[in-house]
Amino acid sequence: MSESPAAKPKLHVDPYEKNWMRFTIILLIVFAAAVTVAGFALGFQVPSPEERVDPNNLTGPWENPGLRELSPDIYDLYIIANSATWQFDPRDVEVPVGSTVTFYVTSTDIQHGFKLQDTNINMQIVPGQVSKLTYTFDKVGEYPYICTEYCGVGHAAMFGTLTVVEQ
Amino acid sequence: MADEQRTKEQAEEFHPKGTVAILVMFVLAIIILWGSVYVILLSRGVTV
Repeated sequence: MSESPAAKPKLHVDPYEKNWMRFTIILLIVFAAAVTVAGFALGFQVPSPEERVDPNNLTGPWENPGLRELSPDIYDLYIIANSATWQFDPRDVEVPVGSTVTFYVTSTDIQHGFKLQDTNINMQIVPGQVSKLTYTFDKVGEYPYICTEYCGVGHAAMFGTLTVVEQ
Repeated sequence: MADEQRTKEQAEEFHPKGTVAILVMFVLAIIILWGSVYVILLSRGVTV
C-alpha cells in the first residue's frame, strides 16, 4: 500500500535558516556575477599555458631571454626562472611608460612563481610550460618581481625589477 | 492540542539575537574583505 504525497511529513525549516540560505545564495550569485563581469566584460584574464617547451633544451627566443620590441610600445619579455643560479633571467628590465608587455615565463628545473608587484601579473611557473600574460604599464616606477613559490634554499634571492621610465 | 500550543509558544520565543549578530558580523566581514580585494583587482588594471 503506497502513501499519498500529501501524507508525507512536511520538512520543517526554521525561518532563520531559510533567510540564511536565501542570503547566502544571493551573495554567491553577486560574487559570481562580479567575477564574470571582470573576466568577460572588463577583460581580466588569468595566465594561460602558452606552449610546451623542453626545459632541458630551450631554443628559439629562450636562448637569449629578455625584452624584444615588436613595434613602438609593444614588447615581448622572455624570462627564465632557474634554481641552479637562483635567479630570474633577466633580472632587470626597462620599458618606457605606456608600453604593453607580454610576459612569457618558464622554468628550466622546478616549479616557481612569478609575481609582479602592484599589478595583476601572478603566475605559476612550471618546467616545460610557458606561462603568458599581457599588461600595459601606465605609471612610471619600479615594479619588483619575485618568486612566490618556495622553491628551495635560494628562493629569497629570486627577484628582479621591471622599471618603467619616461618616454 | 497542548503540545501544539507549546511548540507555537516556543517558536515565538525563539529569537537568537546573539547568533544573528555574529552572523551579520561574519557576513559583513566577508563582503568587506571580498569587496576590497575586488577593488584592488580592478585598480591594478587589466591583464590579457
